[in-house]
Amino acid sequence: MAQSLTHGETALPADWRDLFALTKPRVMSLVVFTALCGLLAAPINVPPVLAFSSILAIALGAGASGALNQWYEAGLDAKMKRTAGRPLPAGRLDPQTALQFGVGLAAFSLFLMLFASNWQATLLLAVSILFYVFVYTMWLKPRTPQNIVIGGAAGAFPPLIGWVAATGSIAPLPVMLFLLIFLWTPPHFWALALFMRSDYAAAGIPMMPVVAGEKSTRRQILFYAVIMAVGAIAPWPLGYTGALYGWTAVLLSAVFVLLSVQVGTRTTGEGDLMRPEKRLFAYSIAYLFILFGAVVADHRWPL
Amino acid sequence: MTEETPNEPFDEAEYRRRQRSRANLMAWMLGGLAILFFFITIAKMQIFS
Repeated sequence: MAQSLTHGETALPADWRDLFALTKPRVMSLVVFTALCGLLAAPINVPPVLAFSSILAIALGAGASGALNQWYEAGLDAKMKRTAGRPLPAGRLDPQTALQFGVGLAAFSLFLMLFASNWQATLLLAVSILFYVFVYTMWLKPRTPQNIVIGGAAGAFPPLIGWVAATGSIAPLPVMLFLLIFLWTPPHFWALALFMRSDYAAAGIPMMPVVAGEKSTRRQILFYAVIMAVGAIAPWPLGYTGALYGWTAVLLSAVFVLLSVQVGTRTTGEGDLMRPEKRLFAYSIAYLFILFGAVVADHRWPL
Repeated sequence: MTEETPNEPFDEAEYRRRQRSRANLMAWMLGGLAILFFFITIAKMQIFS
């Protein structure tokens, strides 16, 4: 657990950079982008200041979820090389400060969303924060290798919230975008888990490669990649998007499946550099960015 | 200031630096929020008028 920063009777105030790191800024960038795409793809034009405020509220909500996740997992993070340098396990931040920061940020994000948009988007934001903290972090992650399959729903909320912030109601397209992120999460995280397997094993987190083994994980990556590709292309034939999005989804998903076939069908020996897994992981991030960009481009400039 | 222990002498300069940087940041954020809330109110008034 984190060390105290107390010097006798006086504690050092937390450095703002550590509080910022607590919000998982890199994860937040994907959340902000997908939420923005959900908002821009909606059929209603929102005044820029309200759009900005809604996206800011979603970003702060995601930051709060990240902070509460790091507060709860400080002990586990200390056991993994990838996360040992985070503010709490490294002892740069006091756990109580992290908890107060997370809860305060969550409350403020909900207030801002309610003030700037509508109660429907606020409710969805609240559900996504609670789902990430209680269902994923506290309940699923330490118990089942299906943690990121079900927990992936938490990360799938932003485009839906962005859309609802603009329109006040749910429609088929944002639900499909929700499903796309939901189905994208397993191959994305299991590719990471394959080359970080020893880290997860050391921390006792039941990630798929640790519990079911590499072979089964590789098969499941391929399985989810194929379903995800179908889910990504589906909005086009169903008439919710045009050809610009459709062809982008077809091409990008074909590459995704090809990279997954590479990962899914190979076996590794001692000292393997795991290049195909790292390639799939990196590509999966670019895939989601480009695909969501295509949703907006298709809406604004249809072919 | 990562590896400080309770046995080390208290670093008042670092304490003041952190306090100052947080106070500055808080002032900027509160100012930004006041401006943001003003423009949100104006935008909402335009929507509902």
